[in-house]
Amino acid sequence: MKNRILVYLGVFCLVALTLGGCVGGQTDPVGFSGVTPHDGLLYLGSTDGKVMAVNPSARNEGIPFPSSSDEWSFLITKSSKSIACGSSSVPVAIYSTPTIAGGLVCVGTYNGKVLMLSPAARSQGADFPQMRSGEWVYPRAEEDVIGSIVGSPVATEDTVYVCSSDSRVYALDMVYGDERWKSDPLDDKLWVTPVVKDGVVYVSTFEGHIYTLSADNGALLPWSFEADIGFVSSPVLYDGTILVGSFDSKLYAIRVGSDVPLWAFPADKWFWAAPVVDEGIVYAGCLDGKVYAIELKTGEEVWEFDTGSPVVSSPALVSDVLVVACDSGDVYALDAAGGGLINKVSMDVSIRGILCVLDGIVYLRAQDNCLYAMDVAKGKIDWQFPVTIK
Amino acid sequence: MADLWNAIIVNPMLNGLIALAGFLPREVEFGLAIIILTIVVRLLLTPVTIKQLNSTKGLQAMQPKVQELQKKYGKNKQKLQQETMKLYKEAGVSPAGCMWPMLIQFPIWIALYQSIMKALATTPENLLDLSQRLYPAQRIAQAIPLNSYFLGLNLGQSGGEQIGGLVLAILVGGTMWMQQKMTTAPSADPRQKSTGSMMLLMMPFMFGMFCLMFPCGLPLFWLISNVIGITTQYFITGGWGYLKWPFSAESASGRGTKKTW
Repeated sequence: MKNRILVYLGVFCLVALTLGGCVGGQTDPVGFSGVTPHDGLLYLGSTDGKVMAVNPSARNEGIPFPSSSDEWSFLITKSSKSIACGSSSVPVAIYSTPTIAGGLVCVGTYNGKVLMLSPAARSQGADFPQMRSGEWVYPRAEEDVIGSIVGSPVATEDTVYVCSSDSRVYALDMVYGDERWKSDPLDDKLWVTPVVKDGVVYVSTFEGHIYTLSADNGALLPWSFEADIGFVSSPVLYDGTILVGSFDSKLYAIRVGSDVPLWAFPADKWFWAAPVVDEGIVYAGCLDGKVYAIELKTGEEVWEFDTGSPVVSSPALVSDVLVVACDSGDVYALDAAGGGLINKVSMDVSIRGILCVLDGIVYLRAQDNCLYAMDVAKGKIDWQFPVTIK
Repeated sequence: MADLWNAIIVNPMLNGLIALAGFLPREVEFGLAIIILTIVVRLLLTPVTIKQLNSTKGLQAMQPKVQELQKKYGKNKQKLQQETMKLYKEAGVSPAGCMWPMLIQFPIWIALYQSIMKALATTPENLLDLSQRLYPAQRIAQAIPLNSYFLGLNLGQSGGEQIGGLVLAILVGGTMWMQQKMTTAPSADPRQKSTGSMMLLMMPFMFGMFCLMFPCGLPLFWLISNVIGITTQYFITGGWGYLKWPFSAESASGRGTKKTW
């Protein structure tokens, strides 16, 4: 009889786990960190919890990683507790693109930590944090975390600003990682990269607010904007106008200080990625698969280009060429003036991280955890580097 | 096949859930939307549920006769099977009558489960996935992202990570035990009785454990579903069935009648 009960138990567990795991409902966070260039190196977060410094020349020559003292990788883990497996250490998810702050690399993690990494200390493989090299982690205590960080940190002269899912903005001392201030909770979770300009921090929220805070003390400033619909993208500030995508599938342009939007440009899906603005034209990728060029002053469409797949990452503009990557793995080089196709590269792997363009080469980390270098104008991949390294 | 499943079943249910949440007070929108949608789905499935309960009731009424047959043909299994089927046929009862209504309901439960999980969109990947499933309606756009808090519970967080989740797990286990107890006839055979008792405890215990593992939105759905199931059974089978309350006079006298309330 005991055997029969065990069989029942086993079958029941199997069915329940199949339902829970395979029927599909939610997926675990993986992260889509972008690539940041600095001093001839590329800094990126991987889907397996690493922050890396990669030398493009060494990758082009196929030299084993790390090729020299300037290449390194640093694995960030968190403690995970589960009923079945007990306590273990697992890699964190990284959505934020590394930010260069005073020659160091700053990154926020999905488990709610902000890390400042020293390239010198990391390339030597020293224990983290090496405070003498300027390294720190916030919050300091291993078990302490703030809410999940999805947006990228923003560094000014001496302060790092970061938004968190606990609905607060944090300002941290760049040298020691001390908390300078944290804002009062602002609406719901903040998954955005803030804009910091002229002593003001601009934040858009899922609840449909744009808040302005003092960069000195985090106090709310008098002007804020309230919409009926939540904002999904990070804000972009250009010439006194904030551009932000919303959940009603519109891109809003809002003059700072105004209570009504300058214009709202409609599309079929959300503008998830922050747009790029240049010479009075807004270039915005949309989850409906199109890239729109919009007149900043009027909100009139200049041109549109259909990629056929959601555009999750922000476009990159290099002189008169607009580089756009879409979720299906196609990367397009478009004529910024007229939206005509110059060339394209197809990879058949999802692209969600921020693109980086350096000396005419596009660098991106795709969701297959590979770093790609491509000459989109010529329509070819120069090299690819699997970031998954033991 | 997956696209068809999503287009016909999951996406309409998901959009319905979010649109419904859009009409409700922000503080309780998602929790209340889960409750209302669960009630609506259960109401739509009432004819099927009634059929299932009636079949179960019919089968249980046949149990004394089946036990007689077991005594008579206990050693000849083939003959026992034939006679049992003959008995069911004469009484116009089919064991499959209990099963197929349950099978019909199964995909709907899966779709409801998926809708709840997808609507929560707790990670950026999930929010991106949700964006591709939403209908272009202002009410839906206004409801996104949903407030995952309900009566102090974070419906997007697993039950094991919050105290309210433990309470929810106990309630789910308790109501499930109660529902099963109402329909499970006590067996005269000591061996079957022992197995039955074990199963009666095992299922609620395991669902209680699942409540600690899954985001609380799902246990909330289970709890409401169980409460509706108990209510339906009470009115269809005519009372508390085989559930005996400790303070019931009939139970104390040991007569073990079916209706004890």
